[in-house]
Amino acid sequence: MSKVEIVGPRQLLGETLSLVRKKGNLHIEPSAVGFVDDIHKREIHSLLPDEKALFEKIFLQELENKLNNLFQCLPGETFRESFLSPRPIIDTVSRTLDDHLAMCQALCEKREAIQHDLLEFSGYKVFLATVSTLLDKIQLTPDLDYIGITLKDEKSVDILKGSLNCLADASCELLTIASEDGALVGLIAATKDSSGDIRSLLSQKKMPEFTFPESIQNMTFVRKVEYLQGQIQESEANLQAVDTNLAQFAQRWGPMYKAALAWVREQLSIIQASAFSFETAMCFFIYGWMPAEKVASLSGALQKNFAGRVVLEEIDIRTEDLERVPVVLQNPQYFKPFENFTRLLPLPSYTSYDPTLFIGLFFPLFFGLILGDTGYGLILLFLSSLATRLVRKNPLFQDGARILRFCSLYAIVFGFLYGEFFGDFGHTVLGMKPVFIDRQKNIIPMLYFAMAIGLAHVTLGLALGFVSALRRHTKKEALVKLLHIIFIFLIVALIITFIGFFPELLTRPLIISILILCPLLLFSGGLLAPLELLKNIGNIISYARIMAIGLTSVLLANIANQLSGLTGDIILGLIVGGIIHLIGITIGVFSSSIHSLRLHYVEFFDKFIELGGRKYRPFSSNQKNEAEKDIPQQDSEPHDKLHGSPNK
Amino acid sequence: MDKILIAFAAALAIGLPALATAWAQSKIGAAGAGSLAEKPELSGTIIILVAIPETMVILGFVVAVIILLGG
Repeated sequence: MSKVEIVGPRQLLGETLSLVRKKGNLHIEPSAVGFVDDIHKREIHSLLPDEKALFEKIFLQELENKLNNLFQCLPGETFRESFLSPRPIIDTVSRTLDDHLAMCQALCEKREAIQHDLLEFSGYKVFLATVSTLLDKIQLTPDLDYIGITLKDEKSVDILKGSLNCLADASCELLTIASEDGALVGLIAATKDSSGDIRSLLSQKKMPEFTFPESIQNMTFVRKVEYLQGQIQESEANLQAVDTNLAQFAQRWGPMYKAALAWVREQLSIIQASAFSFETAMCFFIYGWMPAEKVASLSGALQKNFAGRVVLEEIDIRTEDLERVPVVLQNPQYFKPFENFTRLLPLPSYTSYDPTLFIGLFFPLFFGLILGDTGYGLILLFLSSLATRLVRKNPLFQDGARILRFCSLYAIVFGFLYGEFFGDFGHTVLGMKPVFIDRQKNIIPMLYFAMAIGLAHVTLGLALGFVSALRRHTKKEALVKLLHIIFIFLIVALIITFIGFFPELLTRPLIISILILCPLLLFSGGLLAPLELLKNIGNIISYARIMAIGLTSVLLANIANQLSGLTGDIILGLIVGGIIHLIGITIGVFSSSIHSLRLHYVEFFDKFIELGGRKYRPFSSNQKNEAEKDIPQQDSEPHDKLHGSPNK
Repeated sequence: MDKILIAFAAALAIGLPALATAWAQSKIGAAGAGSLAEKPELSGTIIILVAIPETMVILGFVVAVIILLGG
């Protein structure tokens, strides 16, 4: 990352910011602390907008609000590029916008009202469609009364038929038909004398008559049906007309207003960014940070566009600037998906290491060590390949699938080394033999192996911490890290001697070495240093989870095999075994991931990673066109941008 | 009788830390879920906090294995 300063005549500030935004590489620094020398502080001050700039900002903000409101009314379609440049016609746009906005909002309100009506009618739609077919079948006469009902099933029809006494003397008739949603719609045609009794009977039998809106209660049944059907058709036609109007408007005016909105947002973001600029009587200054490899490109563009009147200069990064340098994660293609794990933590500081590299190297390794089953690995490899092909649009899902693919490859390799294929299935049926270790039988050796991995990992973390401390010139911290490494090796050697792998003769020199180094540790690390040492040893023991969780995974796989064998039936055995193996794979993936991550976050990173870096936010048009988001607000120090925060 | 005592000791070595871990994780998890609702960016920190007590049960497991196999 380079620390840069852009200087030019005051009248070119807007154009310069526009070019900087277009290039999209500069993280504008809102504070001049660390950029301006003490002797120049009196001459350089924050750029204050004049009256014209303020009016322009208010005008643009109002225009942006109106344009946003307009686009809320228009259908969400992608607009073609406008052939008109918005800048010369912005006054015309501003004038026509009011009329167009009023028209579109009126259409939107009308649309909402129609949709509301249609929602109310939706409850009648199926009944009306069904009962209409029944009405078409019979001969309508004004002497008869019609009653519509909804019945649950055929049984209800039989009950109703049994209860309607009028059926016997033919003074009423019941017709039924199945509706689209599966319910039965019934139509009772009865003489006007008997219709009252039928309604009472329906009420007693808890088969209530179909109710229509209150406003049309005075109409006859047939008229009600016709009226509601007419209303629905009319509303649907109106809705279609409104949609067509809006679509036509969007097609005609949308591209121009879209270009105008983009221009307005660009102008607003430039005005906002100019608030983070500084000025003297003649010049403007923009301070910021950008990737070192992009400096030449921006410098060249400024030179080309302003004929040398605007200049970009690189400034030396001083030790006190290191805390303020923004951080961006940049990793090779293989490591990119693992940046998602890094983002779960706060950003590392500029002087620290990017954790992604270590997660990318060790996470799949630990995953494979824990899961370690060729069969499970093959299934996960298949699933990850399938997921990569099926869900192409979701980048997070794609990253997850890629990580799973790397992890599954490690699981296959370690499954081969452990001699596991769906637990002991590979051994008993396929004759697979462990190449490296049989972790079901050799529990203690596997425990030592897991701890050895922990020793290597924790020591690597401490060594990186030692290098990091040396780079920061904090010699005392470097010494503490080095002493921790030595102590850990001495203690491990002592334990190995007690176990009997090293000659017993070594015991005394090891203890004496520890005793000699103890005061040095206390002197350099203070009273908390021994506790820190104990924590580091605890961290190493924590790697025993690689063995413990791996063992549970393989035992679950064996149980699946045994249970499927106990069924005594091939198909049932396959089903039982398949289900339990599926559970095993799910638990295996989940626990292996969580514990591998934990080993990184808790045991490994706290040895050398310093968190708390500032996010690199370039002033760019690619960001969501919100002027506020384009500017690095998180670091704003509004009190005194030139002299720093009063607390410092 | 020795076997029973060894098995009982191993069960205690894994059982008590497991209960302790579960209790600690329930407290941290509940508080963490509450924090996540307000600040989703704390997810990494909360994973770490929830994972910290697990060391107890892992250590318990190691001790239980040593009691059963190494004892």
